[in-house]
Amino acid sequence: MSAATLIEQLIEALRCLPGVGPKSARRVAFHLLERDRHGARRLAEALLSAVEGVHHCQSCRTLSESPVCALCANPQRNREQLCIVETPVDAQAIERATNYRGLYFVLMGRLSPLDGIGPSDIGLDQLEKRLTAEPIQEIILATNPTVEGEATAHYINELVRPRNIKVTRIAHGVPLGGELEYVDSSTLSHAFSGRREL
Amino acid sequence: MSPSHRVLLEPSVVLHHRPYRDTSVILELFTRSHGRVGAIARGVRTEKSKWAGALQSFRPLLISWSGRGELVNVNAVEDDGAALFLSGVALTCGFYVNELLLRLLERNDSHSDLFQIYWNTVTRLGQGDEPDITLRIFERHLLQELGYGLQLDRCADRGVPIEPDVRYSYEIERGPVAYNENSYGVSVLGSTLLSLARNELKNETARRESKRLMRAVLGHYLGDKPLHSRELMQRSSALITKAS
Repeated sequence: MSAATLIEQLIEALRCLPGVGPKSARRVAFHLLERDRHGARRLAEALLSAVEGVHHCQSCRTLSESPVCALCANPQRNREQLCIVETPVDAQAIERATNYRGLYFVLMGRLSPLDGIGPSDIGLDQLEKRLTAEPIQEIILATNPTVEGEATAHYINELVRPRNIKVTRIAHGVPLGGELEYVDSSTLSHAFSGRREL
Repeated sequence: MSPSHRVLLEPSVVLHHRPYRDTSVILELFTRSHGRVGAIARGVRTEKSKWAGALQSFRPLLISWSGRGELVNVNAVEDDGAALFLSGVALTCGFYVNELLLRLLERNDSHSDLFQIYWNTVTRLGQGDEPDITLRIFERHLLQELGYGLQLDRCADRGVPIEPDVRYSYEIERGPVAYNENSYGVSVLGSTLLSLARNELKNETARRESKRLMRAVLGHYLGDKPLHSRELMQRSSALITKAS
């Protein structure tokens, strides 16, 4: 009787994984118990130590094992520029693609009123504290070019405006190597209205 | 009315989208002939997807779908004219309009007039028209479409025409009655009711009173759950006042 309960508990616990329903959870549970007990133990240990050891960086909110992540602690970075992104993956993409040397602030989401995600859920109070405490001269808004990303960028702009800090937004436009004919109409019209003088 | 098996190039707009599994999204669409429709668009959150950019709110789209029941399958998406770029306050108001439709419309209940009103509203917001007026007109039309239309021209208790200089108590689901302090109704001037009926709202009093009236009436139909977009509107306008 108690064994059945333990299995049921495991199946129920597995369902917290994204995209895993009751059927997949049952399959995974039986696989782990029948065929891969060693793997199951490793998974359990890795999960436990990650949950205990990984926290949000006190400065940029990204996931980090130390109180302040390696990037924020790096003295070589330019402390006058702050790039605001939605997720840690976005920060990594910018790191790989550009020679940006400033710091980041990771929102871990975006303003999405219809999902009930408001300003306090994306750490904007923490951002305000940083703006007061640090010598930041420029904010680069690199939220996604979606309606929610735009709403987030606008809100942060309003938040920063009284502080006399330069606020910039990343450009949206035609992908390099793309052909205008195949670009979707709203990207093209955005690129057209945001044209630059040469 | 359950949606037909296959619908081709239906004028639609995305009210809300949320990610589903690794590459799909679940959409809440507002369509011209089928009202609010729940749909799933598979494989759109990938680098190669043609539609990823298109499936955003406030864009006129032509969507083809198939299936029945709660969630239909999106088969094709096309642009139906230029997208509206709402930004700032207009965007927050746009979220509010979408949230009202999500909360008050039943799925698969056709409201083709409301579809046109929705576009007029969003277009006016995009042009930078006074949101307080645009939103009140939208709310009035929305209530009318839902069958909860406001009575704005006659007194509910005596049936006489509304006088501009007289104060009334607007009782929800009944209408304006002669003002008395003990009434649970919303206190409004006759001129506010009349200008709301004409979609004008020229002066400050009319705007303030109609906002309070609409909030009470909508609150009655929305229930206890707060509107998230209204909270965001209040917080952004507090920021803007602080900044100026």
